[in-house]
Amino acid sequence: MATPINILEETGWIDFNRQQKQSGAQLLALTAFRDRQIRSHWLEPDGRVVSATFLCRGEHFPSLSPHLPEVAWDEREIHDLFGYIPVNHPDLRPLIRTPRWPRHFHPLVADLARTPVWEDAEPDNPAREVEGEGVTIMKVGPTHAGIIESGHFVFSIMGENVLHMDLHLFQNHRGVEAALQGLDLSLVPPLVSRICGADTVSHQANWAMAAEQLAGHQPSETLVRQRVLLLESERVLSHLNDLAQIPAGVGFQVANQRALAMKETWQRGLFSLFGHRLLFDTITPGWTATAQMADLITLIDDVNQTWRGWRTFVEGHHGFQDRMRDTGTVKRGDADRLGAQGVAGRASGLAFDARSLSPWYHDLAVHTSTDAHGDVAARFRVRLDEVEESWRLLRKLATKLSQESAQDVEWQPPQDLCGETVAFTESPHGLNVHVVALENGKVTRYHIRPATFRNWPVLALAVSGTAVGDFPLINKSFELCYSCNDR
Amino acid sequence: MLWLVQIIGTVLAVGLAPLFVGVAQTVKARLQGRKGPSVLQGYWVLAKTWHKETTVPQYSSWVFRLAPSISLAALLVIAAMIPWGGTVPQAWPHNLLAVFFLLALERFWLGLAGMDSAGTFGGLGASRVTTLGTGIEPALLASFGILWVLSGHTSIQPIAPELERMTLGVLPWGLAALSYALVVLAEAGRLPVDNLDTHLELTMMHEATILEYNGRFLAESQLGIAIKLTAIIGLGWVWLGPQLGSPWANLGLRLVEVLISSAGLGWVESRFAKLRYFQVPTYLAMAAGIGMLAFYLVVSGGIT
Repeated sequence: MATPINILEETGWIDFNRQQKQSGAQLLALTAFRDRQIRSHWLEPDGRVVSATFLCRGEHFPSLSPHLPEVAWDEREIHDLFGYIPVNHPDLRPLIRTPRWPRHFHPLVADLARTPVWEDAEPDNPAREVEGEGVTIMKVGPTHAGIIESGHFVFSIMGENVLHMDLHLFQNHRGVEAALQGLDLSLVPPLVSRICGADTVSHQANWAMAAEQLAGHQPSETLVRQRVLLLESERVLSHLNDLAQIPAGVGFQVANQRALAMKETWQRGLFSLFGHRLLFDTITPGWTATAQMADLITLIDDVNQTWRGWRTFVEGHHGFQDRMRDTGTVKRGDADRLGAQGVAGRASGLAFDARSLSPWYHDLAVHTSTDAHGDVAARFRVRLDEVEESWRLLRKLATKLSQESAQDVEWQPPQDLCGETVAFTESPHGLNVHVVALENGKVTRYHIRPATFRNWPVLALAVSGTAVGDFPLINKSFELCYSCNDR
Repeated sequence: MLWLVQIIGTVLAVGLAPLFVGVAQTVKARLQGRKGPSVLQGYWVLAKTWHKETTVPQYSSWVFRLAPSISLAALLVIAAMIPWGGTVPQAWPHNLLAVFFLLALERFWLGLAGMDSAGTFGGLGASRVTTLGTGIEPALLASFGILWVLSGHTSIQPIAPELERMTLGVLPWGLAALSYALVVLAEAGRLPVDNLDTHLELTMMHEATILEYNGRFLAESQLGIAIKLTAIIGLGWVWLGPQLGSPWANLGLRLVEVLISSAGLGWVESRFAKLRYFQVPTYLAMAAGIGMLAFYLVVSGGIT
């Protein structure tokens, strides 16, 4: 999937990207490079990847955000990390940058061998707040009472109603992309594996896919099946967790604890099968962890037994269903405009599922479940269906794999690998994209565009206009990953 | 004799309050498929919190420091006013209306403390607790109205002899008991109205008002909420439960009833998800409506 570089002028750049969106293509990533190129990758409905490039004029490039609101954060991120200025951007407040960064410090173009001199400033960025009589500003986080990661939410509330929620994330920006720059390709897998605990298999698979594409290596059918098996196992794990968290948002502890017990059983099963509870370090280019297929089938049967009773229980619980219905609704048009990913998109009626376009899944006939309501109940139901669909796929894969011979010959990517490519998989949270550029076996640019990066602004929209007390429920129905986002 | 029963009853109610809460928590844990902490966990938590450092927010005033003590004092007086032996001694405070005033006093100071904590959650909690109060009070009065109308008094001493003779029909009794049970859930901050176990600041009511407390102040608040639960459940059984001949037997029966109710509370809480905040007034109106219906059935004289 090597992408030809097609350099466009200002109007051409805006028109190309608008036309792609209008033609129903899915934006994969908007990536900046050190040589002042801004590249957009689109996935067309037939599975082809097309791209276009704009070469910055000085430090400037025309902002796409007025036309494509979904890239507003991408452009803010480029502004912070590269210092390139999107002209006509509607909201150029810092996204990642904190006042402690020196004035002209942009981590992805700076010389990171020298530690910058940090400014002596309060690490707080300006929030967009509603002003007026009776409006209260309520700040939640970044440290929370539960065991969750750092997110700072600034609510403008009036009585019990949320008027606006301003997101201040990236509290724990780790600079993974900066750390990957200049890295030898043999050192990439452990780092990529640890971008996030919830979507780790998807990240690993992306790197393996990218490296194999660049080397022109075609992984064997067996290897691909083993990877899909891991991807689906991860989806079940993540969805079981999210399904447990949603009832917890309304104090429905019985449903919460029973789902967590299923998740724990599943996780212990994964540990005994693949040697890691979160499936870290299970995929590298040319290699994938394997397991006894009979044990996997037993594990599915085991969890499935509890699952059926649990599903009937939560679907028949009036109080719980009432809390979810018509709460945190995202309309289809808004979801499309903001590029909602994964469950968040499908629950609002967007049919996109990267699995249906992925060659890895070509013989599996994945059923995409959607819901038109766009509320918490829809996101809950789509997840329920997806867990069962993943189990169906896992059973199918396990049957096929148990009939096939074990691991094929080991393959290593060549040490002088060169080129640029884009790889994507459908992670539990949605479309997960890596744009990788290598030179002589060293990473020159590694852009990670996780699904949650798109979904956070969707959450902010879903919350505005709802009751304050519904926020935890809506938040948990998206269950967005901080770690992928703060990469 | 009565003095002794009343003093011992009060001491036991206060002393056992964390245990009753522990029983409810254990039942909840078991229903969730967990082992859960010991039923005595409440005592360990109180001891731990009591010995921790106590700090106050920079921008709070004396109200913040005084509120936990006033609230706890109000709840201790309520616990002492419950006629554990069936009635109270002659010189004892005995007007049951005062219980409701004390509950209101406790809520008032809780709200003040929430607002004085100078955090946004405190204000939010204060607003919610106060709103809840406006619904709880009429519902409480509705179910107790029966007692007062039947006996013609609001004091426990003249009511007590009536309690033994007074037998309600199944329907009014059931309605009054249901109404009172619904109010107890709201007043004690239990599901489906409020959730004491949550860590989600945005959904809290009672807990939001005491969010800024720690150390001794927090221990006082935690003990207070346990005493409140014990006292209002005990009060309900005083007039809805059977009366025995001796004050000692009455005291024993009350404590057993509270223990069983606590276990029942754990079961009820496990059945429900929390209501939407805007549906809580409807819930309380329903509780009051059921109480009024029982009241009407009794007053109309048809079925008693």
